[in-house]
Parts: sequence; structure tokens; C-alpha cells
Amino acid sequence: MISRLAEHCFWLSRYIERAENIARLLEVNQNWLLDFDIPVELQWKPLLIISGIHDYKGNLDKESILNFMTWDQENPCSIVSSMTQARENARVIREIISAEMWERLNYNYLWLQSNTAKDLYDNNRYELYNQIKRINQLLQGIGESTMLRTEAWEFYQFGRHLERSGQTARILDVKYHMVQSNPDISGSNIEISYWTSILKSCSGYEPFLKHANIIENQVGNAVAEFLILEESFPRSVLYCLKECLNSVTAISYKSKSKISNTTIESLKTLNSWLSKDETKQLIKVQLHPILTKIVDNVHSISDSMTRTYFDFNPDDHVLEMNEIEKINS
Amino acid sequence: MGSQTSSSNRILGIEDSSAIRQQSIFHPYKAHLNARDELIDWNGKPHPHCKTLVDSIGKLSSNEFQDKRSAADLAFVTQGITFSVYSDCRGVEKIFPFDLVPRPVERKEWTRLDMGLKQRTKALNLFLYDVYHEQNIIKDNVIPREMVESSKGFRREMIGFTPPGKQYIHIVGTDLIRNPEGEFLVLEDNCRTPSGVSYVIENRVVMKRIFPDLFKNIKVRRVEDYPQKLRDALCSVAPENSGPNPRLALLTPGPFNSAYFEHTFLAGNMGIELVMGSDLFVHNDRVYMKTTGGPKRVDVIYRRVDDEFLDPKAFRSDSMLGVPNLFNAYLKGNVTIANAIGTGVCDDKAIYRYVEDMIRYYLSEEPILKNVPTYICSKKNDLSFVLDNLEKLVVKAVNESGGYGMLMGPSSTAAQRSEFKEKIKANPRNYIAQPVVTLSACPTWTEEGLAPRHVDLRPYVVSGTDTWVLPGGLTRTALVKGSLVVNSSQGGGSKDTWVMETDV
Repeated sequence: MISRLAEHCFWLSRYIERAENIARLLEVNQNWLLDFDIPVELQWKPLLIISGIHDYKGNLDKESILNFMTWDQENPCSIVSSMTQARENARVIREIISAEMWERLNYNYLWLQSNTAKDLYDNNRYELYNQIKRINQLLQGIGESTMLRTEAWEFYQFGRHLERSGQTARILDVKYHMVQSNPDISGSNIEISYWTSILKSCSGYEPFLKHANIIENQVGNAVAEFLILEESFPRSVLYCLKECLNSVTAISYKSKSKISNTTIESLKTLNSWLSKDETKQLIKVQLHPILTKIVDNVHSISDSMTRTYFDFNPDDHVLEMNEIEKINS
Repeated sequence: MGSQTSSSNRILGIEDSSAIRQQSIFHPYKAHLNARDELIDWNGKPHPHCKTLVDSIGKLSSNEFQDKRSAADLAFVTQGITFSVYSDCRGVEKIFPFDLVPRPVERKEWTRLDMGLKQRTKALNLFLYDVYHEQNIIKDNVIPREMVESSKGFRREMIGFTPPGKQYIHIVGTDLIRNPEGEFLVLEDNCRTPSGVSYVIENRVVMKRIFPDLFKNIKVRRVEDYPQKLRDALCSVAPENSGPNPRLALLTPGPFNSAYFEHTFLAGNMGIELVMGSDLFVHNDRVYMKTTGGPKRVDVIYRRVDDEFLDPKAFRSDSMLGVPNLFNAYLKGNVTIANAIGTGVCDDKAIYRYVEDMIRYYLSEEPILKNVPTYICSKKNDLSFVLDNLEKLVVKAVNESGGYGMLMGPSSTAAQRSEFKEKIKANPRNYIAQPVVTLSACPTWTEEGLAPRHVDLRPYVVSGTDTWVLPGGLTRTALVKGSLVVNSSQGGGSKDTWVMETDV
């Protein structure tokens, strides 16, 4: 497929996934804070840090931050901005995604701009974030049953899972930043409540209870291990990265690209490192560095996709074109 | 359906502005006094071919009709069938106003139009071949040399080059108007990159969704086959060296172009790639596209980018929309470009004046479709007549479209007329003038209920090795009372055009 359009597929799914995860993140923080007394100026700052926002000048109270992260058009990390970006990407490739997907996304974009969504924000915020999460779920479902299984689909899936792996890592890291700025909040009753809301925000509470191996007083480790390594859980980092590997392998096969593919190699390396026993042990003692490594790798994998598939340089293909000429003449 | 629709509209914030809710929609409807009405005669009776249609729609109450309108608008909005008005950075998107009352065309009349359009297209194509080769029409004094060579759309670079299949104009959108006597006249030929055909198809799709029963009782000719017909036509004129399955691509200026929806629509429905200039490159005089699987040859480019932006090396060097060296690949015969480069000479409104002569000259036939009488300001006699009669004439700049650069004499102010007088005198070659023709009218929904509004008709003619005319075309309608300007850029709307399969 056309390289530029592949890039739009990739970013389309990333932005929709991002909108969903911002909603999850805002929800988890909100829920958690209900139980504890933390100075207002410290409650929401970690959220900005993990979103990569360092120049926020507004108030640090809940309403200001929620408004900034939900509605602010100027904030590239807000839900509204992500949905706008998603829709702009979709508009470019509307003949590539299915008509139903486009209609649904467009409808939801318009809905988010409407007074109905604003009213919901004012009166039932929980439901608003739920609906935002549902946009991605709906689109994935519609795509599942209507979109051709061509490269475009694989790029879409790749972007979705890559974004999700990074976002799951970020959600897990909230605690690190929270403790960094509030040293006195670590304590066991806080721990349990905190990890419970993290799990809930990832729709992982019940799956965790069913699957994880919980040792007394080590809930945090178990949750981290579950969200990073549990291969049967579709929001875990490892699950997502394995899906990325499947997609990029399919892309490489379907596109018949003759350019060597560094993304496959980087993914294999990262996945096998995550699967090691050492890593599992490391999670217990050095969670933050591991999460940082995952987020950095997500960036570099994204860059390597760009180099391999999106930035096309004719000079790399001269031999191939000479071949085509020969066959034609 | 009704309540569901209005509640969805509330969700999307679409306002329901009309106050009229109770009366039935054709009561009272009065046909226009001076224009031909496409549905209703001056006695208030429907024309024979419109009877079933008027009876069926006439059964609707005002309320029901309003609900259907909302449903149609919602369909356009959620499908994103919009054009952009980028007045601020966010970009406001508007739907092209759609009127639910269809515009019927009699079966017999269509047969004549179909023949007339084919005849005209054939002559225009022969004219293009001639002016870029022997120029016999100039040597035989049918068209002045100066007229052709001073035309903005004339491309000297094309002289001596023959495009694949000798075909220059693969797609023409011919603007027709109907005078009070009921005769269709040609107002202009659009031989560069005519737009609007996606609305023809989408209007029909939405009409079928909203009025499924109507289509059971009235047989209307299909329009949905257009993308396939266009694809076949373009394949039939692919370069000879492109093999049995030529690769087609639609070249768009990009998502910010106001017609981008149409580009995605056509590419999607033709099953071809949608590309921007930056997706293509030329290597050894052959065109390739940049794909995830490496370079792929492109044989036919259906371009929606104007001539001067196509190749920064050959034409405007500041163009970001084109493909460097594309023109060379074209001259080498390695790619078909549709429409060909240099067809803009036919869009020149002064050249238009000679199309009837072209038909007689090349085909030795009488033109089936007549032009609107046209005065050419670069001719001395015409010029003085035009300057003396501005208040009775429509003056148009020869290379403008979309209703720009125009003076509507009868509704103009003295100041506007004197301004135009100066413009014409300064550059007479740039202007033509025509008598005002009262366009036919069609019942159209307005704030006061159904009222006559003026319409035109743009059929689309597709040519490869054969020529095919899309049955119907885009009916554009003025929405302002009395206005004769139907262009969407001037606030016009559109209607579904129904070419009837039967006479009654």
C-alpha cells in the first residue's frame, strides 16, 4: 500500500487508543484520590508528567486538570485533540478503512464536540469516560467484521497495540511519580486500594484475581507482573508487543518489501528480554526503570517503522526498478 | 422514524430552523411566472412524466417531509459528505445543502441530451487534437489564431504530442440550463477537472434510503455505475506498454482540498489508489508510487490537480502538489494523464463561443445542443454592444468558474457596472457577455415551504475508446429567491436528478 496511507492507518489507531487510555488514566486517578488525603497541588501532577506535559501553567486542582486533559484543543495530549487527530487521519484514508468505521468515528467525533457530551461531563463524568472508552472498542469491533485483512488492517492493529503497550506502562508508572512527590503515602492500605484502581482502569481487576499468583503483602508486585507479563491478558505489555510482532511480520509478508526490517528484530529482542526470569525478578525491585525502558523502546520501534515503511526513499530502490523495467521490456 | 431522527439530530446539534409544521407540502405551490417549472405547469398540474412523483411526495405532510429532510441531513453529516470552509484553523465543515424534491428529466429529452453531449464531446476532442497538431481550424479561418494562442489553458508544450488513444477529455462536465421555452442550452464546458459527480451518486443513495417506496413506483435510470464506467474508460486508454492490467491512481491535491471527499469517494469506488504528488516519483521517465512493498509502476493518472501544478519542473516551479518530471514521462508515452494537459483551452468562455462551429467543421453535422448567444469583448462590434447594454447582460471572465468574476447586469448597481466597464476596456480578451436566460425552476424546500428555485444541470460525459453519459447529472439549485446563480461556492444546493425510464 501507499507508504503515506500506511502511516495514517498506524496513527489513526494510535490516537483512538490514546483517547481511550487518557480516559482510563483520568478515571483511575480520580477514583484513587477519593480514598486519600493528598495535597491538591500534588494530586494530579503525576498524570501530567507521564503524559509528557512539562510546561503546564494552569491550576493544579482536579477540575482544571480534568478540563485540560479532556477538552483542551491546545493540549495535544487531551482526549479532544486525540479524537480530532484520529478523525483527521481517518478522513485521509476513509476509502481504506471501511465506510462503517468512518461513519462511526465521525459520529463520535461530532458527538464529543456536541452539548450532549458536555452535559454528560457536567452530570455524569463516569459515563462520559466510559463512552469514550467504548469508541475504540466499537471501532475495533466494526473493523473486525468489515475491514479487509490487508496491510492496512495490520498497520491499524500494530499502531493500536504499540500505543497500548506504552500506555499500560505509563498507567503503572503513576504510582512511582505519586510517591516521588508524596513520600509519606506509601503504606499497605493505600497500596491495596491503589493497585485495585490501577487494575480496574485497565479492565484487569477480575482477570487478575483469576489468574495472578498473589502472595500476601506483595500485591503491588503481582499487579505489575500481571500488567507487564501476563500473556493471556490483552492489555498487558507483553501481549501487546507480541501482537505488534505478529502484525509487522504479516506486513513484511503481505507487502513483499525487499528492505530489511529492523522492527521485527527490535521486537523479538524486547519480547525475549521481557520473558526472561531475571526480568520478572527485576520488576519486584526496579519497576520504574523497567517501565521507562518499555516506553523508550515503544518510541524507538515507532521510529523504526517510520524508517522502514513510511519514509520512502527512491534511491533505496533503484535495483528493484531496473528489474521492473527489464520485465516490462 | 420521525422521533428517532430528531433525537439523533439533537445529539449532533443540528438545528431545525423551519417554523412550518402543519400544512401539506404542495399546498399552496405556485410555479414560477417567467421560468419553466420542471414539475408543475402554469395551471398547477404536474407535467405528465412528473405525475406519480408529485402525487407521492404530495401525500406527505409538512411534518413528515421535515423529518425526512432531517434524516437526509443527518446521513450527509455522519458520512462526512462535507466540504471544508477553512476560515479558522479548526476548519468548519458544511454539508452541501441537499433538497429532497428530485429534478426529473423526460425520457425523450434525455435521449436528445445524450446525443447532443456525445456530439459536443467528440468535436471538442477533435478540436484539441487539431490545435495541438495541424491547426486546420485556424488555417481555415473558423477560429482566430490569436483567440486560441492567447487562451490561458492553451499549452504550447503539448504541440506535436498525441496522448494515448488520441483522447484528451476523458471526463467533461457540461453545464446546461433550460430556458422558458423548455430548450436545454449549453452554458459552459468543463474540460479540466470537473467536480461534483460524487454528490450525484450520494444524493441518489440518500434518496433511496429516505424514499424507498418512491423508487418502487417510478423507474429512474441508475447513476451508481459511474465509478466502474470511468475506470473502464481510463483502462481503455492506458499506454500500450502497460500490460493487460494497468495500474490506476487518482492524484489529489490532498485532504485540505475542498473536493477531497469526492477524491476519496471515487478512488474507493473505482478500487484505485488515492495518491498525493509526494507519493509519486519519476525514474527513467516512468512513474512509480511509493508503497510499503517498494516502488510500483503507475500507468494511468486520474488527476484532480490543475495543469500548472502537475510538474514543478515543467510548469509552476513552486508547486508542492505535483510530481517532478511527470511531464517528461507523459511525453514519452509512459503514462496516461486524464484529462490530458492543455484541455483548459476548451474551458475558455471565448473559445466556447465557437463550439457550434467546431461541430459543423469537424463532424459536418448541425449541433444538437445550442449555446447561449455570446458576445466576445475582444471583437470590436461585440465590445461596443456589451458596453452599451451592461444592464441587460451577464458578463463573465473567460477563465473563471464557480460564479466568480461575474456581473449580473439586471441586478447590478451603477457603481458595479462602471467598475466592470473599466475592467472590460482594460482587458477585453478576458471577458464575454451573454443575455440573461431565466433558468428553469423546481419546487424546493424553503422557509415558506415549497417554492420555485432556479436550477441548472451538469451531466458528466466519460470517454475512453467509447463515450458514455451518466444518466442525469448534478442538478444545482439556487436557494435564494429569484437568484440565477446556482454555484455551491455562492450558497447553492443540489438535488437528485431523475432521468425517467418511461414517458409517464
